Amino acid sequence: MSDNIFLKRLFQAYYQEKQKEISVVSSLEFREFGFIPWEKQIMIRHIGFESQKVLLSYLIDRGPKHVYSSGSLYLQPEAQHMENKQYQGCDLIVDIDVDHFYTPCKDEHDSWYCNNCETIGTGMQEKCPKCEKSKITKLNWICEKCLDVAKNEIKKLIYDFLIPDFGTDEKDMRIAFSGHRGYHLKVESEELRKLNSDERREIVDYLTGENVSFEVLGLGEKSQMIHGLSKENIGWSQKIMEKVIEILNRPKNEIENMLLDENLFGFTSFYVGSFLNYKDDFLDVITKGERNVWAIEGFGLTNWKKLLRGIVKLIGIELDEPVSIDTHRLIRYPGSLHGKTGFKVQEIKLNELDDFTPLNEMNEKLDPIVFKSKKKLTQKLEIVERALPITKIKGESFGPYVQGDIIEVPHHIAVFLLCKEVAKTI
Amino acid sequence: MSISIDLLKHYPWLPSLKIYYSDIATQDPTAFIEEAFLKYPDGELEQRISKIFKAAFNNLEEIKDYKADELNIYLYLIVKILLFVLNNKPISNRVANTYSKQIYKELIEENEDASLYDICKDLKLKFEYLNLPFKYGVNLNKSQREILKTSFKIHFTDYLKLAANLHDDYRKLVHNALSEGYVYVQKKDLIRLLQEYVRRKLIVEEVKDENNIEKFRKNLLKIREFKELYGNILNNWELKKEDFEYSFKISFKEGSDLSNNFPPCIQDILRRIQEGMNIVHTERLFLVFFLHALNYPTENIIDIFSNLPDFDRKKTKYQVEFAKKKEYTPHSCSTLKSLNICKANESKDEICLEGYYSKKLDTQKKLSHPLFYIQLKQYRNSTKNKANKTKIEKKDER
Repeated sequence: MSDNIFLKRLFQAYYQEKQKEISVVSSLEFREFGFIPWEKQIMIRHIGFESQKVLLSYLIDRGPKHVYSSGSLYLQPEAQHMENKQYQGCDLIVDIDVDHFYTPCKDEHDSWYCNNCETIGTGMQEKCPKCEKSKITKLNWICEKCLDVAKNEIKKLIYDFLIPDFGTDEKDMRIAFSGHRGYHLKVESEELRKLNSDERREIVDYLTGENVSFEVLGLGEKSQMIHGLSKENIGWSQKIMEKVIEILNRPKNEIENMLLDENLFGFTSFYVGSFLNYKDDFLDVITKGERNVWAIEGFGLTNWKKLLRGIVKLIGIELDEPVSIDTHRLIRYPGSLHGKTGFKVQEIKLNELDDFTPLNEMNEKLDPIVFKSKKKLTQKLEIVERALPITKIKGESFGPYVQGDIIEVPHHIAVFLLCKEVAKTI
Repeated sequence: MSISIDLLKHYPWLPSLKIYYSDIATQDPTAFIEEAFLKYPDGELEQRISKIFKAAFNNLEEIKDYKADELNIYLYLIVKILLFVLNNKPISNRVANTYSKQIYKELIEENEDASLYDICKDLKLKFEYLNLPFKYGVNLNKSQREILKTSFKIHFTDYLKLAANLHDDYRKLVHNALSEGYVYVQKKDLIRLLQEYVRRKLIVEEVKDENNIEKFRKNLLKIREFKELYGNILNNWELKKEDFEYSFKISFKEGSDLSNNFPPCIQDILRRIQEGMNIVHTERLFLVFFLHALNYPTENIIDIFSNLPDFDRKKTKYQVEFAKKKEYTPHSCSTLKSLNICKANESKDEICLEGYYSKKLDTQKKLSHPLFYIQLKQYRNSTKNKANKTKIEKKDER
């Protein structure tokens, strides 16, 4: 039996056994469904289900590798062409996936191999630093740290943007751990459903801060004086200035490290020195807010913008933009299994989010690791990937491994490694 | 809630029109027009309609004698019917611009907030009115400290819908005061949003198949007053059109026509100018810098702008020449994206979306600048031509 058939049967058994626990998405009959089967890497979409019962029997029957449903509602979700589906509106979807942004732990567990010059390395790379070709094979892994970063992003999204700025009601929010490297958030409200892609782009711009113009917010030079932003101006101006004040109140060495950090501000030590010398005066000016003339030696408009851009990076949400803008996207179905990990796409209530730890969840109802065997079953595998980092799930660490290693691991770890396609059964 | 009839007479584009004048809504348009001319036999209706079109064709900022009377309601509806049967996008855009500007003026002159409140209610906007104006910021850029206060806040979804076509940077949601789902808007900014609503309401999509409206037009032209009005408008347009049409000579560059190689962002701006639509400041700058970079003669550039509803030859000349002197470079693709000018996705343009294959770097590269688009397209066209030529030569050899 091939490993894919083995995994497919496991998934089928899961859907059979847990069918009562799989949640029902709202307006299920108006949503389009998509599946990726184990047999072929193709997306089967334009499928509609009249009820959860029919959907479940499909899942039990086919045990697909990945299950998706649309954020959009259609009168004819099964129509093959978008123009025939009779689009009714789309929920706002935010996808936060650590694949898309840097986390320090990636230097430890993500690796890459250049198919051109055979160089190998760790961390987040898009092209080979040696030969500069983008023919690289990447192995992305997960750990508690990067999933914590993703969780913090989703918390920032909710508590810094959706609730205070957009007035989003908690009852309209559906939060889910994606089953792999991130979280999804869906806002189901009639008003948001009416927005088109351009209007959604405006929301994305607001959430990321990417297209903020500091000039429009008030930064400018007049009579050789730099006039800055004001913390009294509701919106991004206030967000930026509150963050600046918060940073200025941190210990000097912490500010220094931040400003030198290439991934954030990237100032040279000369400008950092100057900033630190004048930081107390600057803090005084911006907190009193009377004249708001910003003066730090060596800081012209370019450096102020660089500083503010770094601040925006700290505030803005790292989200996968096309997912929120495109109204025809499909997202993972809550309660379904992720074919690259074997973990459950776990729905979480807002009040459960703080304590939720996907790789070591104590609350059984929220635990995405569904293949943990109570009988402590183990399985023998052979590693087929060049090298694997440490995998820490349920408080236990496994690995690192190298190609050819024969290992005996608990059932849930075996499922994870097989889904990741880095090992095979023996 | 329904609004007062007086408010409706002043602003006949409000949804309550359908309630107060439900008989008109269900009436055949030809019968309605006949009835309207019978109701106002003294020619005032025709005169006032003509004034709107004349003001539009002459780029005037206001419509003389705009009155808030019952005739104003008939006038609005007939203008809409006229625009439909004229089926001419530039006319439609010009009238929509002028009429909506007049509405802006009327709304600005309203003394009380009550009318604005009723209008927002009638439009079913989700908004809140605060009796005590709320402070949402300060303006510290000037020598004095200006407190920003307003009584109006509008739900962000309605704000986005109303501001959708206004691409000015300061209208972007990210630059506005957003709190608890509402955007704080100054009264004049709210009125500007309503102006845009009115403009869009008047714009009639050009019907591609003329036969569809021909029958309708024929019936209407049987009404003597309508026929005269329609004829006058067309005559005036013909006279004015000459003023606009000297313009669109994009094809310059040492004798070769480059316009077919323009990127979609520029094509889109040019299309909208050609249709008499307004374009925002950043788009104007980009177009000028872009055409300067291609060495277009200043006069040609000014002529292109002459199609804009707010065209002023003297001012345009000064600005175009100033930009040339300063040698500004056109915006890069990333800047265009952030300014919402990039049309790569909308146009599904292959070059913009997929870029090109760089032999040197052995990788697919995205375009970074619209000028490079032209180079790339010219290169592709020339290689295509060469390939075709070789094919023909080979055929001949055979």
